Amino acid sequence: MMPPAGQRDARGLRLLGLVAGAAAAAFLLSLATGPAGFGLRLPGDAGRLIFQEIRLPRAVLGALVGGSLGLAGAALQGYLRNPLAEPSLVGVSGGAALGAVLAIHLGLTSLFALALPAGGLIGGAVAVLAVLALAGARGGPVTLILAGLAVSSFAAALIALALNLSQNPFAAVEMVYWMMGSLADRSLTQVRLAAPLMLLGIALLLTVGRALDALTLGEDAARSLGIDLDRTRLAVVAGTALCVGAATAVTGIIGFVGLIVPHVLRPLARNRPGLLLPASLFGGAVMLLVADVALRLLQPWVELRIGVLTALIGAPFFVWLVLRTRSELAP
Amino acid sequence: MLGRALLVLGLWAVFGLAAGGQGAAAPGRIVSLDLCTDQVLVDLVPRARIAAVTHLAADPAVSAIPDKARGLAITHGLAEDVLRYDPDLVLAGPFGVSATVDLLKRLGRNVVVVPLANDLAGVRASVRLIASAVGAEAEGEAMILEFDRRMARLPAPSTPAPGAVIYQIGGSISGPGSLADAALAAAGLRNLGLDYRLTRAGQVPLESLIARPPDLLVLSSGADEYRTIVADNLRHPALRRLREQVASLEVPWRHWLCGTPHLADAIEWLAQARVRLGAPAR
Repeated sequence: MMPPAGQRDARGLRLLGLVAGAAAAAFLLSLATGPAGFGLRLPGDAGRLIFQEIRLPRAVLGALVGGSLGLAGAALQGYLRNPLAEPSLVGVSGGAALGAVLAIHLGLTSLFALALPAGGLIGGAVAVLAVLALAGARGGPVTLILAGLAVSSFAAALIALALNLSQNPFAAVEMVYWMMGSLADRSLTQVRLAAPLMLLGIALLLTVGRALDALTLGEDAARSLGIDLDRTRLAVVAGTALCVGAATAVTGIIGFVGLIVPHVLRPLARNRPGLLLPASLFGGAVMLLVADVALRLLQPWVELRIGVLTALIGAPFFVWLVLRTRSELAP
Repeated sequence: MLGRALLVLGLWAVFGLAAGGQGAAAPGRIVSLDLCTDQVLVDLVPRARIAAVTHLAADPAVSAIPDKARGLAITHGLAEDVLRYDPDLVLAGPFGVSATVDLLKRLGRNVVVVPLANDLAGVRASVRLIASAVGAEAEGEAMILEFDRRMARLPAPSTPAPGAVIYQIGGSISGPGSLADAALAAAGLRNLGLDYRLTRAGQVPLESLIARPPDLLVLSSGADEYRTIVADNLRHPALRRLREQVASLEVPWRHWLCGTPHLADAIEWLAQARVRLGAPAR
């Protein structure tokens, strides 16, 4: 039996308040962490410089990129009604990284700086459309993963090709950067470039909550509730491309955030996509900020890439999801 | 199939030996497979005796002699590609081409592998090795003499030696045992690289650099010569602000990527920058 609407809203608000509070705490923790010392107040001019120009952009990017990835994952899972949908697994991140690499290596970014997130956006949009066309909007979990695998492998091959053709002595290092992601030594320049597009994508994806709620009843039921499915599809595609495209263009591919966060929060959100979307936004920020703090604390002993850390957590989780999906699909 | 491949290899070996046995005259079809041997070779012998160099020799970002190398034939370092030039001497460096070198040696080609020069003695040794291989010993000794003359004319060192950091693309630094470290020492500077809290990959987080700025910040240009996101650390606003506060110097890679006598340029600039620092603050 569903609890009455008023009680549901109160519960939802409590959940949102909780994850938003956790995100704020993780943001402050990220600001306080770094090799120059722990704390929100560092001495002198150098301290101010470190705080404003190095830690602040890193924390802002961590929050926005994590939030974008978490939200995009929740939106894809809700729209495709597919538990395995996730930006990096379905190839959107790969497409976005390819777009950004092309923007840099064709010299477009030296003509106009916005070419970098724009490249990511276009690459992400092409990838998400390709995956939808390959898998079909109603394809099963396996079809979607296969389509995503094809798109992301192809994107990775094209990135390697572009880096090799550019005769860049840093091709190998740059490949690692794009494939494993990094928030290290990013600046306000990257924040200014990517943040507006990510915020636009976040706003767009947050509008589809009601449609995704209705879609849990099936497409016909959703349509009879007055949901415009074409508009929903457009919003999900454009929102995902904006969020993931702009995020990947400045940090490289960071996988599994969009998989883990919605799955952890879904039971708490009572399987309501409309509530899960904003919860995953904050939850994604928490996950990436905490992972980035852990990375910096570990750094004297182990050199880890942020994408490696999220994959270390995410891949076993993915395996568990696959096993669960398999037992559900089994006759 | 295999038999035919062996036959072809055998034929190459015979022709290779025949070509190598044409007397002790100075080699006249020299192929170089390494950027560093390229540069010494081009400085040492007339162009007519050079069959091919690497594509990097004419790249102004990494080569000290791009104009002199322009127009020379280019090899990509594969054995088959090298054999096209029917070389009587192949100069190779220590990196990346060992399979090619082995194959060329087995085919009877005269291959000289020039070790990496990590210090000034290494610079002299590699010039001597290449000069004797190409039969230009006198020119080689003259080149070394000129290098030593420039080293002897450097401004006298001051004590204590000011500290310097070489901060590069991706935040990596040059540590002890590297050629850049030897150049700093020759210029009377102390390499502070290891005083920082490095990551395991040998990089300095920008934050650490700003928290403890060196007396002299040394950068290799190249952020904009190559289109790569890995160079973003050199475009970071915080680094720009740091350079307003501490002395800094750009020494383009082409001058100290290889242990050739062109290293003298880098050392002279570093020594002049040290003199401009005046007495160190600490």
